Amino acid sequence: MARTLGNDTPGTAGHSARRAFETFGPYLTISLLLIAWELASRLELVIAFLLPPLSVVIVRIATDFASGQLPMDIAITLYRTLVAFALAAIVGVSIGILISRNATVRWFFDPLISIGLPMPKIALLPVFMLWFGLFDLSKILMVAFSASFQIIIATWAATQSIEKELIWSAQSLGASRREILREVILPAAMPQILTGLQIALPICLIVVLITEMIMGGQGLGDSMLRSARYVDSPGVFAGIVEIGIVGFCVIRAMEVIRRRLLVWHQETREETTV
Amino acid sequence: MRLVHTLWRFTPLLLLAVVWEAVSRLGLVSEFALPPFSDVVTAFSRLADEGLWEHTAQSLYRGATGFACAVIVGVLAGVLMAWYRPVHILVNPLLRCLYPMPKSALIPLTIMWIGLGDNSKITLIFIGCLLPVVLSAFNAARGVDQVLIWSARSMGAREREVLWEVVVPAAMPEILSGIRISLALAFILLVSGELIIANNGIGYLIDILGEGGDYAGMFAGVVTISTIGFFADQGYVALTRRILAWRE
Amino acid sequence: MTSRTPPAETPSSGGISIRSVCHEYRPARGRPVLALDNIDLEINDREFVAILGPSGCGKSTLLYLLGGFMPLQQGGISVGGRDITGPGPDRGIVFQNFALFPWKTVRQNILYGLEKQRLPKDERERTTRHFIDMVHLTGFEDSYPSQLSGGMKQRVAIARTLAINPDTLLMDEPFGALDAQTRSLMQEELLAIWNRSPTTVVFVTHDVREAVLLADRVVVMTARPGRVKKIIDTRFEGGMNAEIAKSRPFLDRVDEIWDLVREEAIVAGSAGAG
Repeated sequence: MARTLGNDTPGTAGHSARRAFETFGPYLTISLLLIAWELASRLELVIAFLLPPLSVVIVRIATDFASGQLPMDIAITLYRTLVAFALAAIVGVSIGILISRNATVRWFFDPLISIGLPMPKIALLPVFMLWFGLFDLSKILMVAFSASFQIIIATWAATQSIEKELIWSAQSLGASRREILREVILPAAMPQILTGLQIALPICLIVVLITEMIMGGQGLGDSMLRSARYVDSPGVFAGIVEIGIVGFCVIRAMEVIRRRLLVWHQETREETTV
Repeated sequence: MRLVHTLWRFTPLLLLAVVWEAVSRLGLVSEFALPPFSDVVTAFSRLADEGLWEHTAQSLYRGATGFACAVIVGVLAGVLMAWYRPVHILVNPLLRCLYPMPKSALIPLTIMWIGLGDNSKITLIFIGCLLPVVLSAFNAARGVDQVLIWSARSMGAREREVLWEVVVPAAMPEILSGIRISLALAFILLVSGELIIANNGIGYLIDILGEGGDYAGMFAGVVTISTIGFFADQGYVALTRRILAWRE
Repeated sequence: MTSRTPPAETPSSGGISIRSVCHEYRPARGRPVLALDNIDLEINDREFVAILGPSGCGKSTLLYLLGGFMPLQQGGISVGGRDITGPGPDRGIVFQNFALFPWKTVRQNILYGLEKQRLPKDERERTTRHFIDMVHLTGFEDSYPSQLSGGMKQRVAIARTLAINPDTLLMDEPFGALDAQTRSLMQEELLAIWNRSPTTVVFVTHDVREAVLLADRVVVMTARPGRVKKIIDTRFEGGMNAEIAKSRPFLDRVDEIWDLVREEAIVAGSAGAG
């Protein structure tokens, strides 16, 4: 439910009309835009090379799909993204927890993180290519490296913000250090850690595409850049639509996972608004 | 005392530099894969005479222009969307569809549309950074406490005054943190756009030095752009703190 | 605490007339909720009226309707003989959570309303200084709200509202967020201010003692949907003072009203559980 900032339209008379607009307005915009896209290029208001008709793009996606090229690209890109994401998650959460529990580790990582977090890590790609070659290994490591800083920071902040009383009460109930970590600290830190993962996942997608564009080796990014090189504009637009859909699904899936993991948390009971 | 503290804090970096130098000099890894730190420093001063600054300036011009446009347009669009409900209803679905799109998918598009020059990179950064700014400004303005708006109205503020004197300042903290995310994104798009295809700029320089086998030079380029990214972020944080001095 | 009989010389602002007001909340999803059901209430000029009721009885809704923040759905409200059409500086409001502009200093917060009245600059400055002195915040003019305690913030909010010299003062649980001690000090101060320049006050609270202490009349509302359950005169012989607040008749009155409110709170509680 969205809240109004401006003045509410008063009275009961306009109410049903307003509700109709609120229900159908969103679909209206999207359909109008899609129609405008098709018409603009059919009626040659823009050069078809800059904006090929929607129908042409759809046919292109269907052809790519039927030929097996598109499922292959999606599978490869997803494989790289998810492996790198898993790697970043494991390494990031571990380092984050080590930092919060050990002063020496904290001393060592603090300056590295404060420099590594804001720096454009993608600039290291040529170095990763030099060290790890041109295939999946360097791509996955580059992606994991780019995403891990956000996860470390989120985990560290999450464990810092746990209420002391929670840990004290577990201690007084006789929990060991290890049990407290597994049964108190990790669950209590989970919402914030998941938020960090939700920031890291789009970074993974962004960087995977870049590595594919630069190093090649199949995948959605590689195919799309090749289309651009051959000035194949339906191919480029098909790529954008495909990548958009993949991105949308991956990020949605992460939201669902979050809700599953946090059933106990009050946020799941509140209506999520975007 | 403060100095000692800062030094101690950054000792790990020094340590890493020493290990780097040692590992390479002692031949634990090939000098080819990891040129000694001292060679990178030498390469840096050599490159400084060979156009490093020109390339850097070129990149910064592209990045700053695209980013500034995205911030101005994005904040305006986001706040107005939150303020005028019909606009929100019509534009919101579009935002929700486009927002999760990985922004790097725009690189081939701008290459195809505009080519290799400045405008291609500026457009890339503008479009790429726009949505995060719009969305954070929109959420921020929509989340402004209703009661603040009511107070202003009851004191006689007109609608337009409420928008600029209450909604915008109240939303400012969240808008500013949204812009910070876009700043990082701008650097990613800038560097990767130049790495993929360009005829000048720091990304291009890193790329050709690497291809030419001048790895010390390549490392120097990487260190340069990383340092700039770091200081841009620090500068932004300092600016934010200044704007939000009232927050304590 | 001194006498609170209003002196005659303040200009008349006219009372408030609330006629058969109903209000319904219509969430985007779910069933509409009736918050106010046929409220009739006449408030005299310069009368201090407290509205009392269990949480969720719509007492704040009534106040927001008086303020003109929400559109009137049914019935009529007039203040000083004129129907209200929207928010305006003739009705000043103080909210529970202060609603100060956090990016403005104490002085700037108080100045804001005066600027909107298009007063000349020197008059604005003079008025601001006067009200800062009045609420004992001299020395804190250039502090931001985040640097003040709860009681100080509420004093700024009251000063900001009084500064625009409203004919009617609307207060939405203004002391609800304060600790007991600050609360009782603020009650005394409000009475003192009101005695110096009485205006019509509508004061929403759920604290029975506060209502009896401050108000001329107390309106007790029923649990949702809110109706007027009973209106009780709470003026005491010789005005309000510390002695009377400890006297038998005062305590009996508090007790009587407390029973009325409790009946409704039980109804509200069982309805909420169902």
